[in-house]
Amino acid sequence: MKETVHIWDWPLRLFHWLLVIAVVGAYVTGKLGGDLTDWHGRIGGLILGLLIFRIIWGFVGTTHARFVNFFPTFGRLAAYFKGNWHGIGHNPVGALSVLALLAVLTVLAATGLFANDDIAFEGPLFSLIDKSLSDKLSGIHALALDVLMGLLALHLAAIAFHQLVKKNNLVLPMLTGRKQVHKAQASSIPAVGALRFLMTVVISSTLVWSIWSGNVASYLNPVDSLQTAAVRLGW
Amino acid sequence: MKVKLPLALALTAVTTAALSGQVEEQIRFRQSAYSFLSWNTGKIKSQVVDHPETFNKDQIIAAANAIAATANSGLINLYGPGTDQGIGWKQSRLRPEFFQKQDEAKELDATFIKEANELAKVAATGDAGAIKAQFGKVGASCKGCHDLIRIRE
Repeated sequence: MKETVHIWDWPLRLFHWLLVIAVVGAYVTGKLGGDLTDWHGRIGGLILGLLIFRIIWGFVGTTHARFVNFFPTFGRLAAYFKGNWHGIGHNPVGALSVLALLAVLTVLAATGLFANDDIAFEGPLFSLIDKSLSDKLSGIHALALDVLMGLLALHLAAIAFHQLVKKNNLVLPMLTGRKQVHKAQASSIPAVGALRFLMTVVISSTLVWSIWSGNVASYLNPVDSLQTAAVRLGW
Repeated sequence: MKVKLPLALALTAVTTAALSGQVEEQIRFRQSAYSFLSWNTGKIKSQVVDHPETFNKDQIIAAANAIAATANSGLINLYGPGTDQGIGWKQSRLRPEFFQKQDEAKELDATFIKEANELAKVAATGDAGAIKAQFGKVGASCKGCHDLIRIRE
């Protein structure tokens, strides 16, 4: 017997699909360059905000959004490979993929803050470090992109594998939040707390805004404030 | 005493020249050129894109002319054989594959020159919107080469 239950809360789904759009946007603007490089930076800011949101949501979100409930411990992985895993959220291997994707995206967003392209782009925290360190971080940024591409290929391949071989549609639940599960496992997640969601949005957007507006850089390095940066090249 | 200083300077110049061969010299010149370019592109980025309230038409025209002049100076001639290995002001970041990709590199160089010339033309009009758009095209032409022949740090 099967029953349809709620597994993914709507903030998690919103996060997922906004992240998909943002990553595609960042990829395209990053490859095209020119005028779009500034948009690449802004989209990077959005991605950073989404990542901070997801990390906080991993502690205060509903059941299957919480790291503690899907963290791929050795025991869970072993059980999964023996066929003894009966959860309905991220399976332990999927959880590895989730954490790897979050980690490499965090590396991309964090290095991007300090990056430069030797053309006309400097990340919002570039002024806090040496040019040579920024060059290294920009190199890591490019390297992390290769890793991300590999992980995304794996992510999509796993979804296709679940669809075609295991007859398990992973995409639809990520859209609707609902999944058909065995009656024995059927338990829906609680409703999303509006206050928790709002607080999480406020915290993540405030953090990103304080970096992006130049407040963090000018606070830590007041000499190179925005005003001097604006005119510094004309002397 | 009076002779000693010029003599010392001349000796220094000779030893420096002897220590740095043609390869190092080419690398040093091209690194200097890109460094000079970055002052001028940085000025346009700052005054046209990031802080348009600081727009100074004369400085922008001067910057665009400097970029165009540098682009037209024949930079590609500074990429002689062996110049992927030497140290100029610092280690060159030229990929060895450059020497198999000369046709592509020449094409990208021609694009850079074309876009830089156009930027100088547009800058003369003082139209900030048009300068910004054309500056983006110049930046994209820089990126074309960076992606093709430059080593990631």
